[in-house]
Amino acid sequence: MLKNETTAPPRQRADVAAKRCRQLAALVVALGVAAAACGSARTLEGTAAEIYDGECVAESDRQLTVYSGRTENLIQPVLDAFACETGITVAVRWGASTDLALLLAEEGDRTPADVFLSRSPGPVGFLANQGLLATVDGDVANLVTADHRSDTRTWVGFSGRQRVLVYNLDSVADDELPASIFDLTDERYRGRVAIPATNGSFVDWFTVFRDQHGSDTAAQWLDDMVANDARYYPNNRSIVEAAGRGEIDMGLVNHYYQYQVAAALGDDHRAANWDFAGDDVGSMLIITAATVTSASDDPGLSNQFIAYLLSQAAQQYFSNETLEYPLAAGVAPAGVLPPLGGPEIGSIDFDALGDGFARSTEIIEASGILNE
Amino acid sequence: MIGALRRRRSRAPAALRIAGVVLAFAFAFPGVYLVYRALRDGTGPEGLLWSARTLGPLWRSLRLAVSVSASALVLGTGLAWLTMRTDLPLRKLWRVLLPLPLVYPTFVGAAAFIRTLNPGGLANDLLSSIGIDSVPELRGFWGAWFVLVMMTFPYVYLPVAARLRHLPGSLEESARLLGDSAFAVFRRICLPHAGTAIGAGTLLVFLYTLSDFGAVQLMRYDTLTRAIATNYLANPPVALALSLMLLVLAAIVVLAERWFSRRLPDAMSAKGDRPLDYRLGRWRPYATAALALTVFASVIAPFIALADWARRGLFRSLTGDRALTVDYAAIAESTFNTVWVSVVAAVVSVAAVLPIALLVGRYRSRTGSLAHAVVISTFALPGLLIALSMRFWTLRTDLVLDLLGDTAALLIFAYIVRFGSLAMGISVVAVRSVPERLHDSARLLGAGPLRRFLTVDMPVMGPALGAGAGLVLLSVMKELPISLFVSPLGFSTLTTRIYGSFEDAFIAEAGLLSVILVVLSFVLTWFLVVRRQEHA
Repeated sequence: MLKNETTAPPRQRADVAAKRCRQLAALVVALGVAAAACGSARTLEGTAAEIYDGECVAESDRQLTVYSGRTENLIQPVLDAFACETGITVAVRWGASTDLALLLAEEGDRTPADVFLSRSPGPVGFLANQGLLATVDGDVANLVTADHRSDTRTWVGFSGRQRVLVYNLDSVADDELPASIFDLTDERYRGRVAIPATNGSFVDWFTVFRDQHGSDTAAQWLDDMVANDARYYPNNRSIVEAAGRGEIDMGLVNHYYQYQVAAALGDDHRAANWDFAGDDVGSMLIITAATVTSASDDPGLSNQFIAYLLSQAAQQYFSNETLEYPLAAGVAPAGVLPPLGGPEIGSIDFDALGDGFARSTEIIEASGILNE
Repeated sequence: MIGALRRRRSRAPAALRIAGVVLAFAFAFPGVYLVYRALRDGTGPEGLLWSARTLGPLWRSLRLAVSVSASALVLGTGLAWLTMRTDLPLRKLWRVLLPLPLVYPTFVGAAAFIRTLNPGGLANDLLSSIGIDSVPELRGFWGAWFVLVMMTFPYVYLPVAARLRHLPGSLEESARLLGDSAFAVFRRICLPHAGTAIGAGTLLVFLYTLSDFGAVQLMRYDTLTRAIATNYLANPPVALALSLMLLVLAAIVVLAERWFSRRLPDAMSAKGDRPLDYRLGRWRPYATAALALTVFASVIAPFIALADWARRGLFRSLTGDRALTVDYAAIAESTFNTVWVSVVAAVVSVAAVLPIALLVGRYRSRTGSLAHAVVISTFALPGLLIALSMRFWTLRTDLVLDLLGDTAALLIFAYIVRFGSLAMGISVVAVRSVPERLHDSARLLGAGPLRRFLTVDMPVMGPALGAGAGLVLLSVMKELPISLFVSPLGFSTLTTRIYGSFEDAFIAEAGLLSVILVVLSFVLTWFLVVRRQEHA
């Protein structure tokens, strides 16, 4: 019922047969019975097959361990395609990017992780400051433009999410949609705007905001938002959901949650994205980052994997399926996405900001937005 | 009567005392980690720790924990009495439903509450049809209070229900014959005898509220756990110091509860003595309505939202509109993992805390009290911290790494450290409810210690230990940070998949997996907890 072979819609249905085979094998081992060898030459199915449709290479004994702040739904097909095409086993630990960064810091040089994928640059900066990241090979880093990687090559961007304003279709009139985030401190937006103040990508966005407009301007903007009864929500998803229900009128979020919720709830979800004017800081692109850990025992393999994320096929997948902005291989963003024009977070050297993240957190806490 | 039941203070067997020390040590690793890290890294800027930025959240945490535990005490005890000692209709159904709120992971449970009950939510049509047009928005202090009471009252309900189930009816009968009203009997007989169970359960609610992050975050109530989470990356020494503060606070409360409960009479138990069922009379409809309302608010309301998400997702995948990103094999694998780790963790947890319970309840040993405090205080620590400390120690201990490396054994150990506290308090109550005279008789008849334990202790303690195992079981099933970080690579549970889907707003998948989790816990609660209580 969940898996409909004949209609086979093009969502992420990775490699079902092989997966079942593996799980069956795992079960058999768990029961203490010798497992029979399972499967020979195989190909991928579903979304993963759109990334790689050739025959899978026989499994080698090389293993890559990935700590992924990207969730399984968004990246598993790419991992499956990589494993199939190279014969390399990919083991993954999932979690929130900030939590995984803490885990990597605790594990230190003993971590099994080779690669860390982060939803936003903040956690990467935290690890870079602690000296836990190796540099990405020059030829891999050069797959993206200088805007989308760190100058010291501690990280390389592999997809982008744009900051937008999500708004309720019934309670916000067209002429009320603002051109800039600076408009939101206006009286007519009193009590109507939600801010995910403790969310990682918001804090990163705020850090770049401070870098571009000066800390005082950014802090003043946040204070004015609080004075204008802006409302705190813990994350992007809860804002998009509340906007769709009409609990709030609008909120500052990453662009792609709206597409997921709308796909699940259909027309009952009464919300849409609004793009700030091209050069407004409110429409910044937040980049998801790939890094190699300094404890990786196979940096060559780690670089090979990151290069795969930046390959034409993988970038096309991010564009088509997860509706993110591709950053490499000349792939164009999906048609439903508005064209990019705003400042991009990668153009700021995050490592150089040093305590940027810590200072942003202090300003946000001091603004009082967290106290209801 | 109270004096007659006081226990002799005798010295515990050496083996038991050694077991107590070993267990205390095993349970102490997150606390030791915190102290070690705080000493190594310092506490950061002193001023920051005692500034309004941290004292405000600390005050709010305390205020919330006190309000939630007081409310859960009243609600949990009342529900236990109604379902165990009265002629309320559908009692068996209520007994299976009432523990279920424990199984909602707070990050998705609180979101589902919001989806159903908040403005524009799913219950709005229903409410407006009965004339309620505007609903208050669940948020801030009252929102957090409501959601947490609804999700934690089973911590009180389960142990108290297990206790009342075995309170001999003869005492109440005598009181009734002497002319006491039903309420007076409840106050004079039930309450004192369930006192230790009530205290133990309320303590858990208090500590859980301190450690909760998911619900307070979604209700936008700014507590200590939020301050810890924010400072982890921005200012790690402050986060560590705040966590240590949480642990010290917990230890103080645990010792206070211990001091208090030692002054309560031992609970009495007698098999074969039928419990008394009160006739509620004209109160029956009101009591039934109150129970139905609680079940609606705590179990049904979040379930409606989750089922709605699941239904839409299934519908869309069937029409070929949008396939689900999870398949049968993935669901089956996660379900299988969830069941076996939670059952094993529940059983081993009870076995692990039982020696401590014997030390505390039977011998009043100092070693036991220390171990008891360590086990229970740990419950106030956020799960993420326990996961991090577990990884910290295992990666630095070659022996453990070589022997258990990437196995589920470490995962189960971490679960036990996180949730052993849930079985701890109720086990002490169980131990104290075994009548000393039964032991004396058995000893006179020549039964050895093991035989006495199996034939005298276990039958009397069974229902309470079952309730303890049930608390651990439901909590492990929904546990997230440990399941993510301490598990072998590639090991998934239903909750890790719910998280993976929910985080990026794949709400159809999150809804479907949550529905499976709730149904599964319903079945397990029935087989492992309720049915055993019926037969005991």
